[in-house]
Amino acid sequence: MTKLEAVIQNSKLESVKNALQEIGVEGMTVSEVRGHGRQKGHTEVYRGREYSVDLIPKTKLEVVLADGMVEKAVQAIVAAARTGKIGDGKIFLSRIDEAIRIRNDERGEGAL
Amino acid sequence: MTAASPLISELRSFLADESALVAKKFAANGDGREALAQRTLLVEEILKRLWVEYISPQQLESGGLALVATGGFGRGWLFPYSDIDLLFLHPDRESEAKNKDAIRRFSQELWDLKLKLSPATRTLAECDHFDPNNTEFTISLLDCRFLLGSRDLFFRLHGKVIPRMVAREAKALLEGLAEVTHARHTKFGQTVFHLEPNLKESPGGLRDSNVACWMATISAMSKLGDWPQVSSLRAPVRKKLDAAIEFLMAARCFLHLRQGHDDNSLSWEAQDEAAVRKIGALDLPDLSAADWMRIYFGHARAVQRTVLQLVEEIPESWSSLRRQFQGWKSKTANTDFSVVDGLIFLQQSSSLQDPELLLRLFHFMAVHGLKLSTTTEYRIEQALPAMAVAPPRGTELWLYLQETLLQPHAAEALRAMHALRLLTLLLPELKPIDSLVIRDFYHRFTVDEHSFLAIESLHKLNQSKSEWDQRYAELLSELEDPELLYLALLLHDTGKGAPGGNHVTSSLEIANRCLDRLDVDPQERAGVLFLIENHLEMSAQLRRDIFNPETVAAFAEKIGTPERLKMLCLFTYADIKAVNPEALTPWKAENVWQLYIGAANYLNRSADHRVHSNDGDEKLARLRSLAPVTGARFKEFVEGFPRRYLQVHSAEEVMRHLEMAQALTPGSVQIDLKRGRHWYELTLVTQDRPSLFATLTGVLAAWGMNIVKANAFSNQAGVVVDSLHFTDRFRTLELNLSEWQRFKDNIAAVIAGKADLDKMLRDRQRAEKNMRVKVVVETRVDFDDQCSSTSTLLQVIAQDRPRLLHRISSCLSRERCNIEIALIDTEGQMAIDTFYLTAQGKKLSSEHQKKVSQALLDDLKILESANPS
Repeated sequence: MTKLEAVIQNSKLESVKNALQEIGVEGMTVSEVRGHGRQKGHTEVYRGREYSVDLIPKTKLEVVLADGMVEKAVQAIVAAARTGKIGDGKIFLSRIDEAIRIRNDERGEGAL
Repeated sequence: MTAASPLISELRSFLADESALVAKKFAANGDGREALAQRTLLVEEILKRLWVEYISPQQLESGGLALVATGGFGRGWLFPYSDIDLLFLHPDRESEAKNKDAIRRFSQELWDLKLKLSPATRTLAECDHFDPNNTEFTISLLDCRFLLGSRDLFFRLHGKVIPRMVAREAKALLEGLAEVTHARHTKFGQTVFHLEPNLKESPGGLRDSNVACWMATISAMSKLGDWPQVSSLRAPVRKKLDAAIEFLMAARCFLHLRQGHDDNSLSWEAQDEAAVRKIGALDLPDLSAADWMRIYFGHARAVQRTVLQLVEEIPESWSSLRRQFQGWKSKTANTDFSVVDGLIFLQQSSSLQDPELLLRLFHFMAVHGLKLSTTTEYRIEQALPAMAVAPPRGTELWLYLQETLLQPHAAEALRAMHALRLLTLLLPELKPIDSLVIRDFYHRFTVDEHSFLAIESLHKLNQSKSEWDQRYAELLSELEDPELLYLALLLHDTGKGAPGGNHVTSSLEIANRCLDRLDVDPQERAGVLFLIENHLEMSAQLRRDIFNPETVAAFAEKIGTPERLKMLCLFTYADIKAVNPEALTPWKAENVWQLYIGAANYLNRSADHRVHSNDGDEKLARLRSLAPVTGARFKEFVEGFPRRYLQVHSAEEVMRHLEMAQALTPGSVQIDLKRGRHWYELTLVTQDRPSLFATLTGVLAAWGMNIVKANAFSNQAGVVVDSLHFTDRFRTLELNLSEWQRFKDNIAAVIAGKADLDKMLRDRQRAEKNMRVKVVVETRVDFDDQCSSTSTLLQVIAQDRPRLLHRISSCLSRERCNIEIALIDTEGQMAIDTFYLTAQGKKLSSEHQKKVSQALLDDLKILESANPS
């Protein structure tokens, strides 16, 4: 099993969600996060005062997948979230040892 | 098998059969009170049988034990799955020890019958003791009722112990009760308007109706030293409370039977079913779930009002002398109202037949955050039918309403007006959203409460310590007409009560009717309607990439002016915050703010996009339709004005400017002077000439006027339209009507070079003492060459001082800069002036910019030393 974490632009959440649903990924965890990569922040000046926007609001999406689904999910996210500009986000993949459904103690991919 | 088993089997089937009968009868007649009484009788019958079996033989030996019903069972209100509160009352410890086993068996059998028993075992002496940590037990004794056993023992409890104990402990009891009630209300956000309320525990639920009765009983017992013979609540209050209790009884009985256990949560599915079965409302025609909930909220509101008033009235009633003294001393009291213990009373002579007094009352409430006393509410209710014949409307109503909306406790005043049905009497447009439930898994409160909460959240900004709230608070303090924002919040969701899919369209229609009723002037009306029409726009933009300049530009173009952008930003903040307590996360607040800043900066940096009379612009089309006769002249007039000109001026104003431009003769000026609510507005139309703006601001400074806002625009033909908002610091124009003409003539004379401006300014300087400043603002001069293709943008931020604008504009003129556009603004003690400059028709070179910057800094330093902070 693999955990996929994608940090994307807020405006792309709906299309990424739809793209994942289309390939059969139903469950996911979405959180509101702030951060920056190479996009860095910038400073906005408003009426003589400076507001630094060093951490830009982003959306993080987490989903644990059966290994066979990982590549499809990555492709779906890339296709839906890409604008080609800096700040499109990143996808991180990591191994998961076990998944357990709390309700019935079901384990492994069946618990996903 | 024990000997009791046949009895238990018999009782079990008896309980099942009788319970089914109760449910069947309730299904047929919907009478909650009757179902509760039958259930009470049924349980009593079972208790009797078990008593004879287990307790009686023992009791004969022990010489006295009484079985007492307390709490809901004591009142005879046993809901199908409620706890059965029982007190085993002993004369002494000896009896308690002797009967322990028998009581255990008796209780065990009840549990085996699946009846939820809440037993308490006490001696008479223990009942006389009040434990502040267990207020609930003492309170449950207020509903005690004899069931079985020693009648004599019960009478000692009921006739002597309880009255004596309550009289002694009344204050502590009431305070304890107020405390637990407050804690419970806090858990439910202090509002009755939940989309899925709890019929027992929510504010305005059955628990509150009991609290009202207990408080009245304790209060009466503390005075009488005995049980009151009749209800201690005043008749009109009692009547409303009784009606509410009848309804709540039926509804909770329905819920218990539907759920099959003690579940008091009124889910959406249960609401649907209750509406179809017309629970508690059998005599009404067919009801939708929303209609049925409206009836529920009406009752819940009545219950909550009664409780809150009793909670506040009774604890302070101990010394009538103190109350009078407080009223006498109260600083907030005036000739119409007195204030006692935070409650507003009407002075005896005040007559509520006068609608103005009523409006003043709620304004008073909104200012001071006080509550109405029960007697005041009663008097208002009595006065409403007469007022309903010809309710106040028009400008008079709008004036009172806006003053109320602006006060820190406006939401509380609106809620009180709403609860008394006054708000919907004055603004019937709000009727469709009265207690309206919208099921969207997002909003937690009814539509009316959501609107009040939105208004409240803006008023609370000032007290907040959160970084985000403070930014929004600052924005709110900068608004020119905050009352329009509050009115828009009050009306923005009225369309949710109308049929049809798009609530924004319906809200606009309804708001239009309401604005007619209030006779709101066209410009203000346009502001309110704009906010309602676009109230979802910012949220919609948050679903786009708000860091993309194109997204920001399109959004800013749609909004048009900085003032509208501010209002919409605050509107969005308040609207999201009022959805539910968690809806506005810091993440979302930041997104709204970033979009706001981006759009605000865009609007200031795109002010010189020019109008072309052939543009397919919506506003231009409207203007063309207003000026069909003067078509060609109109085209010539608007050609080349910055787009910002059309955004900040209404169509009517543009037409007026056109008329003024038509009347211009060579060398003349056209001046229009108006008095607004907050400031005067001077409009000047003339042919462009050197130093015009500097001269104009100089004349105003020489007259002692404080310029708070200004816009200076010119068209391709060199016609200048300058508009300046100023305050009259010395009330010259206000107190001397004759000065209006002299003021206008003087402006014309100075511009024509017929009067000496320098002399006027020197005279003014001598006459004025130095102004002390509270907040020191550092001078800052910034140039931007990027945001305009034809001009250089200059932003000057400085301490607001008399003659500041004249000084800046004169300096610019001296440095050979032509002011294409001036956007002048003041925020508290900070002046923020933006100029679009050219020199010989081009942008300023970097050397020129440096020179201008230095000249400005030097000049402002001189001004600073003349008016030191």
